[in-house]
Amino acid sequence: MVEALTHAAAHSGADHAGNGHASHVSLQYHPGLPIPNGKLIVWLFLSTEIMFFAGLIGTYIVLRFGAPTWPMPHEVHLSEPIGAFNTFVLICSSVTIVLALEAARASQSTSAKGWLLATLALGSVFLGVKMYEYNAKFAHGIYPWRPHSLIYEKADLNYAAAVRLRLEALKSQFDAEDSSLKAALDPEALETDSRVVTLREKLAVVDDEIAYEKKAEITAATDPLNAERHVALEDLADRIMPLVHDGGEEHGLNDAHEWLRLPIRIPGGNMWASTYFLLTGFHALHVLIGLIVFTLMIPMTLDVARAGFVENIGLYWHFVDLVWIFLFPLLYLF
Amino acid sequence: MGKFWSLLFLLVPVLGVASFVVAPWYKFWLPLDISEHGHTIDHLFYFILWLTGVVFVITECVLFWFLWRYDSKGRAHPVQYTHGSHSLEIVWTIVPSAVLLFIAIYQMNAWADSKIHNPGAGPDGIIGTADDMLPTLEVTGRQFEWRLRYPGLKAQGKLGDADDIFVVNDLHIPVNEEILIELKSADVLHSFFLPNMRVKQDAVPGMKIPVWFRATQTGTYDLVCAELCGWGHYKMKGRLTVESRDDFNHWLEQKYREQTATKDSQPTEKGDSE
Amino acid sequence: MSSTTADSHAHEHAPAAGRAQIGKFLSTYVFSRDHKIIGIQFLFSTLIWFLIGGLLALGIRWQLAWPWAEMPVIGKMLFSAEGGQISPEFYTVLFTMHATVMIFFVIIPILAGAFGNFLIPLMIGAEDMAFPTLNMLSYWFMWPAFFAMGSSFFVAGGAAKSGWTSYPPLSLTDLNGQTLWLIGLTFVGVSSMMGSINYMTTIIQMRAPGMTMFRLPMTIWAMFITAILQAFALPVLTAAGFMQLLDRLLGTGFFIPPGWTAGNAAMASGGGQPLLWQHLFWFYSHPAVYIMILPAMGMVSDIISCFARKPLFGYKPMVYSIAGIAGLGFIVWGHHMFISGMNPALGMTFMVSTMMIALPSAIKTFNWLGTVWGGNIRFTTAMLFALSFVSMFIIGGLSGIFMAATPVDIFIHDTYFIVAHFHYVLFSGTAMGVFGAIYFWYPKMFGRLMNEKWGKVHFFFTFIFLNGTFFTMHILGAVGFPRRLADPYHYQTFAHLQSLNIFMTWCAIGMVSVQSIFALNFILSLFLGPKAGRNPWHANGLEWQAPSPPGHGNFDFQPVVYRGPYEYGSPEVDTDYYPQTQPVPEKELIPAPAAH
Ligand code: HEA
Ligand code: HEA
Ligand code: CUA
Ligand SMILES: [Cu+2]
Repeated sequence: MVEALTHAAAHSGADHAGNGHASHVSLQYHPGLPIPNGKLIVWLFLSTEIMFFAGLIGTYIVLRFGAPTWPMPHEVHLSEPIGAFNTFVLICSSVTIVLALEAARASQSTSAKGWLLATLALGSVFLGVKMYEYNAKFAHGIYPWRPHSLIYEKADLNYAAAVRLRLEALKSQFDAEDSSLKAALDPEALETDSRVVTLREKLAVVDDEIAYEKKAEITAATDPLNAERHVALEDLADRIMPLVHDGGEEHGLNDAHEWLRLPIRIPGGNMWASTYFLLTGFHALHVLIGLIVFTLMIPMTLDVARAGFVENIGLYWHFVDLVWIFLFPLLYLF
Repeated sequence: MGKFWSLLFLLVPVLGVASFVVAPWYKFWLPLDISEHGHTIDHLFYFILWLTGVVFVITECVLFWFLWRYDSKGRAHPVQYTHGSHSLEIVWTIVPSAVLLFIAIYQMNAWADSKIHNPGAGPDGIIGTADDMLPTLEVTGRQFEWRLRYPGLKAQGKLGDADDIFVVNDLHIPVNEEILIELKSADVLHSFFLPNMRVKQDAVPGMKIPVWFRATQTGTYDLVCAELCGWGHYKMKGRLTVESRDDFNHWLEQKYREQTATKDSQPTEKGDSE
Repeated sequence: MSSTTADSHAHEHAPAAGRAQIGKFLSTYVFSRDHKIIGIQFLFSTLIWFLIGGLLALGIRWQLAWPWAEMPVIGKMLFSAEGGQISPEFYTVLFTMHATVMIFFVIIPILAGAFGNFLIPLMIGAEDMAFPTLNMLSYWFMWPAFFAMGSSFFVAGGAAKSGWTSYPPLSLTDLNGQTLWLIGLTFVGVSSMMGSINYMTTIIQMRAPGMTMFRLPMTIWAMFITAILQAFALPVLTAAGFMQLLDRLLGTGFFIPPGWTAGNAAMASGGGQPLLWQHLFWFYSHPAVYIMILPAMGMVSDIISCFARKPLFGYKPMVYSIAGIAGLGFIVWGHHMFISGMNPALGMTFMVSTMMIALPSAIKTFNWLGTVWGGNIRFTTAMLFALSFVSMFIIGGLSGIFMAATPVDIFIHDTYFIVAHFHYVLFSGTAMGVFGAIYFWYPKMFGRLMNEKWGKVHFFFTFIFLNGTFFTMHILGAVGFPRRLADPYHYQTFAHLQSLNIFMTWCAIGMVSVQSIFALNFILSLFLGPKAGRNPWHANGLEWQAPSPPGHGNFDFQPVVYRGPYEYGSPEVDTDYYPQTQPVPEKELIPAPAAH
């Protein structure tokens, strides 16, 4: 286009004159907010994080209140005291990081470092307790991934079948061990040997459970219209792990004999596991990231110059804390 | 050149309107409507078509006229140095919002009739009371076919007992009767689409969704799956046959006989996982 | 580019060792932290993907015009297994990846990534983004996504094939392709998130003296509000994506209905809800459609005002309507789910909010018309594309009203009426606006002008062909012609529509092929284009006061802003433009900064 070209010609004079990284001036601005850019972008980042967890928590709420039934804390081995303790730990860590900031502002690098380490320690305690809680779940076969966990939604025939399979597996295993022991030990030692004794006890348990299971399965399977059907299966499930609706704990076979690990019946248990590990998992991940940053900060000298940085990571840490403040009642109390 | 480009922009409303005018001549238009409620939907379609059409023509013509009139070539007059007009802003905020609100309210009944007033809930609107209408049949989408399940003629049209009749892809319904379908899916999402009936509803695994309509013309029409359900989505095709009550009953009995003759045609219970 | 060639020239005087020069090359072109280079990197990457997306579209068109016909030439190479014809399975891959590429690798990154990066610091008078390294990362996080999506074509089971909406449970039964799709999407998300928070900080904190919020160009306002949309909507999609990944890989059941088994995703765990994904997905993807048009609206506003040589009509209403679109954009997502089995009462509320969101767009449209009115219009290529944006957006927007009407949507949902709608807003709207922006800012990017004559040829044919392709879709939609169907013609209702489809396909072929004109113009002008001065269009914006291309640090003087960016034809001065940095002639407020 002609015009543009003529303009180009007109301006090209000024152009090479000011092709000007050479005369590079450092510019001044009029900032819209009286805070450093670093702090602003951290706030903005946290707002995206809020939306992220809003998505997760929203999912939890929708799924939970959409579900026909939802397990009681005890049924999924969720202990409020432990959760409360962890909440307390996190809140303390929020305090310590603030103290670290104050110290840094006063250029008392060493005490700042101290508070930072305290925060680091508390955060690690939180994660440690989480690990412990997770282990408790795994120990009871409560987890949301393949191979299929021990959770079954309802006590139906394929639940019973699963129980039978587990029992038969145990039996054959024990029989094998028994015979190998027989071979190893000489007959008179056999009766007194502790291993043999415990093994025999276990076998006894398994045997009579197998017998019970057979009976239940048969009553259930034989004629479907029989009212006994459900009763039998429910009883089977209750023997293994009773549902606690009044919150009072009863003990089932699985609790009596840790090694049994029979399939358990928890209505809504699978969905519970999915959401529980989703929410706490992503939160734990955020805690972990915070701890990593803290560790990286240990070699630094935390004086006024670094105060801004301490403040920003502090903001992040408060956020992680806040998320937990939401998660705890949501997952443990309601 | 400016004039030329202005004319190019004038082509937009001209050809746009033209194509909508000629399309119906070649049957490139709304398919035959054989449903009772369909005309309300079509009416709304036409109403919005006219309304947006007018907006479309006016705005596009105004654009053309400004381009034509204010082409910089051949006239160096001072431009209208203005930063806007408060009163104009108010006008073109109020008017469209009024129009839009009107459309919004105007269509509500049509929506309620076709998706909210479920005859399966009866006049009292509560599901599970005596006055509820029993489903005419149960439709289950599965990759890649439509599984239909009619209640047998004997047991006063209850679904789920021994004499249910199972058909695949061949949907028959009696004419001039309220039809209530229980829509389910055995695997992934599907969509139950009867173009001539102006009916479309997704089938969602784990949900039972009611679909109701009333056919006014006999004949055979298309049953289309309108939600992507895998590689075979395009061939998940059924046929809708609207026929008189008698023909319908004959057809049912015949189906029943075929089914009892060849038991193996019975699909497994997998079709309805609650 | 040439900005940094100049840059490196300056340093080549010193006898630098080869290794040092390689390091120099890498740091200036590859791992550059300069927002201009990053913007241009985004521009090139997205244009390449644009081409790929276009070719995928041609695959779609081929199948729809001549179903199962053997593809000429390339057919045998691509799918020798199917005897050179598109398999129904591959058709689903085609439209899924076409959409994914176009939306996540073209439109979003070209708007926010390319133009956002290049223009924001220049237009507000900053030397760079607030966080250059973060900015660089936001580009490099695109590459894992590029690799994931690109490689997914070659993994067992092929690329993702559940539609760009990837609704479960279908998407759970899909093979590796879907996993890679989700991974790619996550990276795109992280990239956009980094970008958006950086943009917000920069715009809030690094405006030149005198550049108040209401002196910002519409482009910046649009980029700013788009960034807000990104920051608040994207994390939800990321969360949803993680959940779908867990459902696929781990065995959780968020989107799996109770007792559901199908394909390889057979899982006893359940109690999830397929509709939940749709809610989460659209909670992001509806705001996303505005993310995909607001920046174009902003840039178009600047271009139109510049070539109408006239102030933008109703600056503040324009700003407020952008904000209005963004706000309302968060409460209309349900209009994609009217017939999904969602509670119909909810559908009614979403219908009302959707109707209302048309209002701000209406205000913008009328203000654009007002801007053209009484102007002194120069029909440059950029202007033509900008005007076509307005003209086409009206069509795309109005078709949106049909779908917002719930009863009508019963009939047209998942038909080509929808496809027409979003191609009018996305291609005829945004993509055309982007073309305009390229022709407009190219001289600033590369210091040379693109060829106007060929630019207009490119515009003319693109304009004709796109209407030929996409307007016809409305008519298919009126017949109820369903989308995502590999072969619709065995339905008696649709059999007679093949003729129309053949016409559309020819237009599409034309549309893609005329882009070669653009490609040539684009590439050749890099070297042959006439040198553009600082301000070839006599525009007011700050960027036009910087050298073209701007050196490192953008400005060779301290820009001070005295007025808004749209003072064209102002009586205060005798030129028909009045740059933001030019002090008021006689009574000087501040001694003019030592300018060029
Ligand atoms: C840039 C992208 C973009 C934009 C801007 C829009 C804008 C709008 N969209 Fe669109 N939409 C998409 C991209 C976009 N959409 C995509 C990609 C899909 C499909 C996704 C998929 O399923 O794959 C979709 C799908 C979609 C649906 C779902 C259809 C279905 O699946 O059944 C609906 C339903 O309400 C809808 C509505 C609207 C409305 C009301 C607007 C409004 O914002 C439009 C407002 C503009 C105007 C109205 C025109 C200008 C105004 C005037 C000229 C004033 C006068 C007008 C009146 C008084 C009416 N869109
Ligand atoms: C921004 C978004 C975008 C864009 C630009 C396009 C562009 C095109 N689209 Fe697409 N499309 C979608 C988004 C888009 N589409 C979406 C979201 C869907 C839904 C998918 C689903 O259902 O899941 C869809 C689906 C879709 C369908 C329906 C498939 C089906 O449902 O069965 C069809 C059919 O015709 C189609 C066609 C086309 C055509 C012909 C183009 C043409 O306009 C393409 C023209 C191509 C170009 C113009 C590129 C040329 C190259 C350059 C300009 C770069 C130059 C290079 C250098 C300088 C180096 N698209
Ligand atoms: Cu079933 Cu598509
Ligand atoms: Cu939308």
